[in-house]
Amino acid sequence: MPDNTATQASAQHNIPHAMSAPHRVPKERYYDREFFELEKTRLWPRTWQMACRLQEIPKPNDYVEYEICDQSILVVRQADHGIKAFFNVCPHRATQLAMGAGSFPGGQVTCPFHGWRWNANGTSSFIYGAEGFAPECLRDEDIALRECRVEVWGDAVWINMDANARPLAEQLQPAAGRLEDVAIGNWRVKWWQETILNANWKMAQEAFMEGWHVMRTHPQLTLGAGEASPAGSLRYDTYPNGHCSFEGGSLDTDFHSFDVMLASSQLLADGLDAMAIERDMRVLESVRHKIGPDDTIRAAVAREMRAYNEGAGIPMPAGIEQQSLWWNGMVFLFPNIFYLPMYGNSLAYRIRPYNDDPEWCRFEVWSLTTWPESYPEERAVLRGRFDKDDTDNWPLIPIQDFSNIERQQRGLHVQGYQGHRLAVDWEAGIENMHRELDKRLARA
Amino acid sequence: MPVVTVLPENLAVEVEPGESLAQAAWRQGYHWPTTCWGEMECTVCAATVVAGEHAAEPATAEEEAAIAGRMPHFLRKPGTRLACRLRVLDDGLVVEKPGVRAPQ
Ligand code: FES
Ligand code: FES
Ligand SMILES: [Fe+2]
Repeated sequence: MPDNTATQASAQHNIPHAMSAPHRVPKERYYDREFFELEKTRLWPRTWQMACRLQEIPKPNDYVEYEICDQSILVVRQADHGIKAFFNVCPHRATQLAMGAGSFPGGQVTCPFHGWRWNANGTSSFIYGAEGFAPECLRDEDIALRECRVEVWGDAVWINMDANARPLAEQLQPAAGRLEDVAIGNWRVKWWQETILNANWKMAQEAFMEGWHVMRTHPQLTLGAGEASPAGSLRYDTYPNGHCSFEGGSLDTDFHSFDVMLASSQLLADGLDAMAIERDMRVLESVRHKIGPDDTIRAAVAREMRAYNEGAGIPMPAGIEQQSLWWNGMVFLFPNIFYLPMYGNSLAYRIRPYNDDPEWCRFEVWSLTTWPESYPEERAVLRGRFDKDDTDNWPLIPIQDFSNIERQQRGLHVQGYQGHRLAVDWEAGIENMHRELDKRLARA
Repeated sequence: MPVVTVLPENLAVEVEPGESLAQAAWRQGYHWPTTCWGEMECTVCAATVVAGEHAAEPATAEEEAAIAGRMPHFLRKPGTRLACRLRVLDDGLVVEKPGVRAPQ
């Protein structure tokens, strides 16, 4: 059934190319300029979004610039280790104050044009040439940097440009709880890099909301099963607020065989360096001779992982192996963040429009893992921006995904294409995201 | 933690590993002249090494390019370093920088 709120609201506020027919997505939502502009006025400026990971700004005065469409926000670590975010513009003549990531030595944010300065907390510290201005142009409240809302969740900083926004927890529920159950707060950056794709941001992210493209897109992961591998091997859920998830295994179901489990984990370790990493492979290999007569393979894996983590000082909350997401799965947080947890690790994605163009996006990938507690907090830095087909810098699995995404974007424009038709069983998360988007676009 | 002597005031500035001399000074409340605050744009932070050069990390190509390209040449001397890029390995470095003032 179509979602009544969205259809009514879209009638009232006349969203172009609104979702209407069930299981169908109008193609214009991925390239139409008017639709994109509506996202720029009604989605991004009023929605909580992950601006950076805490690890990007470990020390006082460290900053990161968060860009979304034509907006730019500076996230700055404070002397008391708290966090503030500011709209990144000089109140004098609009110069952008800082770019990329770095730190403000001496805790001074300086404008590169006429040298006005602010403390890292946004208060004005120096107005060069103040004597040449009319006093009403230099009122403290106008000259201080304008703050943007900030909250911290999941070891990351989230911002909202809307001063009246509801709390972050409201937007993230109920999906956030699923990630808290697998200890998202313990994950730290192993590597992080990005690519630019010639595709709408939604087109790109929808490629990760279902797992049944594995058969054709990532054939190596079916370990030779080919078309015989079942399309419906995962459980899919949609949630209020636009989130969705899928998951595969649980402690009550077992792997088909030890060798298949080991081979598929090895493919992740080699082909992705995420979800399963080298450290896990050593533990998994050791399980072969430790499966007792009354054991399932999963029970033995969980036991050995726990023993290894305890020895290494790697936190592993009690009972976490009862969570099917600990074994593998995906949680999408509306509007644009993904986590794919496995064994105390996770792959993560963030997808944003790029260059103010509906047909381009910036796609970031993190490999996250749980470090030993004693591990030093190193500043996380982007390894680089690499071409989508750069085999020296991208593992096989993302290269396979990226190649389809740009082909889809081109396909949208081919005559006779009628718009997406979604699988009820496996692609409801995509529809759910679009319907949440329409709700937000309909709000005046 | 290495200590740098700053003339002519004869100030002893402690510098943490990984931190530049100017950054260390600002963090501890010294006044160290600058207008760009560590962006390698103003060269106003420049100091002259007068002794103990072995205790300083050598200048990077970037720092040398900034001195050559942005600093008026009548201000440049042998031993000129940008304090916002000057990292210290050991005790014994002595630099001259008029205008540096101790924390009040
Ligand atoms: S534009 Fe920033 S000080 Fe003039
Ligand atoms: S502080 Fe400006 S160049 Fe060093
Ligand atoms: Fe994929």
